[in-house]
Amino acid sequence: MVDTDTVIERLARSAQPVRRLPSPGRRVLRWLSMGLPVIGLFGIIMGARPDLGTKLSEPAFVVPFVAAFATAVFAAHAAFASSVPGTPRWWLWLPAPPFALWVGSLGRQCWQDWLRLGADGIVFELDFACLPTIAIVGAVPAIAMVMMVRRGAPLMPRLTAFFGALAAAALAYVGLRLVHLEDAALMVLVWQFGAVALLATVSGAFGRGLFASRC
Amino acid sequence: MAIGCSLAADPAWLVRRDNGARRSMSGIEFRDDHPEWSQWMAAAQEGDTDAYRRLLHAIAPLLRRVAARRLQGASAADVEDVVQEVLLSVHAVRHTYDPARPFVPWLMAIERHRLGDWIRRARRRANEIAVDSLEEAAADHAARTDDEQAFDGRAVQAAVAGLPKAQRTALELLKLKEMSLKEAAAQTGMTETALKVATHRGMKTLRRLFGKDAG
Repeated sequence: MVDTDTVIERLARSAQPVRRLPSPGRRVLRWLSMGLPVIGLFGIIMGARPDLGTKLSEPAFVVPFVAAFATAVFAAHAAFASSVPGTPRWWLWLPAPPFALWVGSLGRQCWQDWLRLGADGIVFELDFACLPTIAIVGAVPAIAMVMMVRRGAPLMPRLTAFFGALAAAALAYVGLRLVHLEDAALMVLVWQFGAVALLATVSGAFGRGLFASRC
Repeated sequence: MAIGCSLAADPAWLVRRDNGARRSMSGIEFRDDHPEWSQWMAAAQEGDTDAYRRLLHAIAPLLRRVAARRLQGASAADVEDVVQEVLLSVHAVRHTYDPARPFVPWLMAIERHRLGDWIRRARRRANEIAVDSLEEAAADHAARTDDEQAFDGRAVQAAVAGLPKAQRTALELLKLKEMSLKEAAAQTGMTETALKVATHRGMKTLRRLFGKDAG
């Protein structure tokens, strides 16, 4: 076994200057500066929904929309913070409140539809387009996230991957809501939110291969 | 080997005390006001090898104390093994340290992570040995004596000891200590390609030696 002093000497001799990792907050801003133009471009190419002006004045649309955006921001922050040693654990809980608000507002609308229309009035159809759309729109934010998060320390790779994918998918959901005319609460919950949850969970399972360095 | 701790079930690794010092859950006390460590790491990030050397020498005793306390029952060599792994991790992720934040929590997060890895590996090895022993006992109970089994162990040790130094080192670091190529390269000064070649040749020699015996 090589003695520790020898290891220290070898490490010291091989110490090259390194580019310091910016704070998680700065990295979130950088990530948004890459992701938001893509969402905007998607809106321009697909065309904003014609009733967007009206919808932006309806709490039933605005609350989950804003909550999804906040989830994207805080999940991105959690992804970056989780790869910095010594970051307080409570930072990782920040995405929870907007996420709960997002799910809760969609669930509440489902419940209200149920009370108002009964079982027969609930619209539920197969809409498999949401998953690939969210995956495609979220691809650029996801790639940007992977490239940025790879520079961190792989302390909790699965959690980091989960938060990163959640951030990218939530941002894609925001873009989808700007163009997609689907408003039936159950449809939005199952197909759009469901796609976000599925992508985040699957990505989390493959988190170990995410990082460039080993900690 | 008795490992008397469980890091996974230890969410509150650090407990702040009234006097500003921190103590780990294992009872090791240390100050978190080592401004010189933070300054040395900041200088190391700029490529100052002297500051880096001073820092690594300064933190090694703390790493050793924490590891010894956490790995109750482990040998001094195992403790030193963990210390070296932590030093390698510090080296690999030194760019993630933000000099605006305290240094010791950053360092302790890395050590906690490496200790967790080490404990998992030790348990896995212990399980593998237990399973192997059971299978061997079932198969060879009537035919083999303790002396013969001990001879096998000694034969493997002798075969490894008889390998050229590069092959022996590569096998010890990559196969027994389960280091990554990057870590082993940093520790030995060998290139990753040289390590791969040495491992391949060492394994081939061992297979040839024991394959013939088995056949």
